Amino acid sequence: MVGPRRVAAVLLTVLVLAAVPSSAQTLTVDTAGDAVRIRAQGFSFLTGDPLARLKDGRSVRVELAAMVLPAPGRSVVAATRRIFALSYDLWEERFAVTTVEKRSQSVSHLALAAAEAWCVDQVAIPVNALGGLGRDLPFWVRLEYRVLDTDPPADSKDSSYSLQGLIDALSRRRKTDSSTHALEAGPFSLPARRSSRLR
Amino acid sequence: MGSLFALTESMRTLGLLFTLLVVTPQAATDQKPSVPEGTIITSAQVTGFDIDRLSPGLREAIRNLAGTPLKKEQLDELAARLEAERPRYVAAVRTVMEPGGEARVFFVMGRQQDSERDDNVNKRYIVERADITGVPDAELTEALREDLKAVVGKRLDSGEADKLQESIERDLPRYDVSRRIEKGSEVGRIKLLYEARKKEPPPWLRFEPLRSNLLYHSEQGWGGFWDVNVGDRTIRFVPMFALANSEDSIEETSSVGLRFETRKLGTRRLGASFEWSWFDQDWRTQTLGALPLHSEIPVPYDTRTTVTPLLKFAITPDLSVAAGVSISELKALAPATESQMANAAVASIEFDHEWKEKSDATHRAVAGFGVRGGSRSLESDLAYTRYLGQGTYRFDLGRHHVQATGMAGGITGHAPLFERFALGDSLTLRGWDKYEITPVGGNRMIYSSLEYRYTGVSLFLDVGSVWDANTEKHVRVSTGFGFHGGPAFLTVGFPLNTDNLTAIVALGLRIPGVGARW
Repeated sequence: MVGPRRVAAVLLTVLVLAAVPSSAQTLTVDTAGDAVRIRAQGFSFLTGDPLARLKDGRSVRVELAAMVLPAPGRSVVAATRRIFALSYDLWEERFAVTTVEKRSQSVSHLALAAAEAWCVDQVAIPVNALGGLGRDLPFWVRLEYRVLDTDPPADSKDSSYSLQGLIDALSRRRKTDSSTHALEAGPFSLPARRSSRLR
Repeated sequence: MGSLFALTESMRTLGLLFTLLVVTPQAATDQKPSVPEGTIITSAQVTGFDIDRLSPGLREAIRNLAGTPLKKEQLDELAARLEAERPRYVAAVRTVMEPGGEARVFFVMGRQQDSERDDNVNKRYIVERADITGVPDAELTEALREDLKAVVGKRLDSGEADKLQESIERDLPRYDVSRRIEKGSEVGRIKLLYEARKKEPPPWLRFEPLRSNLLYHSEQGWGGFWDVNVGDRTIRFVPMFALANSEDSIEETSSVGLRFETRKLGTRRLGASFEWSWFDQDWRTQTLGALPLHSEIPVPYDTRTTVTPLLKFAITPDLSVAAGVSISELKALAPATESQMANAAVASIEFDHEWKEKSDATHRAVAGFGVRGGSRSLESDLAYTRYLGQGTYRFDLGRHHVQATGMAGGITGHAPLFERFALGDSLTLRGWDKYEITPVGGNRMIYSSLEYRYTGVSLFLDVGSVWDANTEKHVRVSTGFGFHGGPAFLTVGFPLNTDNLTAIVALGLRIPGVGARW
């Protein structure tokens, strides 16, 4: 006989296990050459409407920014910002990415997660831009993305406040684009040629 | 090779920008060699692209340039944001010196012609079919059909597909157009599909404005009113709550209520609303003290329950009429005293029109006239007629805002206290306290106000009077200043034609509408 407590415990465990992988976002940093590279496990920016747009054969532009901060909420010390054009090959069912700049870099035949990881890998921050941070002082990393090419919502001319708008207005976040999303983690340090991990 | 490509790319962009600057609508000769840093910007516009298609944040950043000193770096940064948001366009900044020593800023946008910049991986596939769905054949022009045929048999060109979408949108302005690509009948072939969906026509009737607020008045204390919109663009429910609310009236109430509104009953010309509210009165001592001196005014009440069903009809999108009844039960303050009914037929006409100028200036004119008639034929214990006419004109240009308001009203017969006019709160006759100047309100009212606002700072002049028909009219004037940031405000008003020059402070939050859509 299996008691109700055991059933409840099993159900709870299953629920927790099911929930954890979907919400866990891990930031790690690593020095490669003269740059600090960021790895963002579970950080996904191709979901919902942008993904649907890609699957409809259209391209999507995403601006990714990696920022280094001396402490949470403090002003940015160093940042790298790049724009990526992503598209989905309808016949090969794989993603392609191109950096939007004069000398663009491209990569193709990637699965969704690999395409996202490639983009994150391209926003490396030069080690010398960190100044004293990293070796002498810990630092925080903020990874931010913004989906471009999105038309404003149909009711954006409505003068009334939404609940989110009200929260934004009261918290002085009103001018931030609603399509900007971010992940922040720290503290990190830079032991020579070794990665620093925080979960 | 890479650097050669980069050079070619740069030359193309430079060439395009040069072309854009030369062909701007304004004559090139009116531009002085450079507008100095720090020159005040009178307006900032985007040409060559519909500004409403930019993200709200970027639109706001561009519009907020008006009234600020010109900083080249800031303009370049905005141009870069325009290009990032609309990558198929290049953006150039053009500044024009005005005769008055101020500057106008134009962000000139032009589409890039370079098809090599197509970053869609599907560009290698051949379009085997290009179709548009959701539109009756009769509405498709021959030119559009030809354009659709023209892309068939060629490799996908996203730029061309965009252009085609824009010409479809131009030809079919009553439709929303989206685009997708599907696999074709064999490997390497694709179908280019445009889907048109008829736009829902804009509603002609307006919902009742929402007016949530939390207010502090230095003479009247704290009060709040919350109304929440739950609904969609056609129907909505508005739960309402108030605590010590004394805006617009001589009453001070705590209340609960619910309003249902629909602005489409079969046709967008016809709508309806039904409102139920229960008010618990907390009369001011000034009001209760003054009432015995006015035997012609009906007695105060303990609670009020009001039900108001209304039918609304739009004559044009700007002009509408409404009619219905307002049924109120007034429970007496004294126990074992019968309650009174104050039932009235209500009718109103409203005009609301907004128009824009090319210079980005916006005008809005709102006017209304309403009549409420309490009659024995409606089983009302109180017979009266109340008229109220009001109008507002508002002008917005960048950071400059001007608003002029006028109101006039009259009551005949024995109107209940909630119908009597009052001036002197956080919105009207700022600088005066209504409970001091007319503690029981009045049956005649005239009021006008002029306010100028520059970004968050305002100056105002209010003039008005509330009186009873059989008493002398005393016109009161006040002036003052205010600070406004988002929903928060603070005003300081000074009464002018009085010996007692006491400043009245009002502050709080005024939120046009909070709600959830389903």
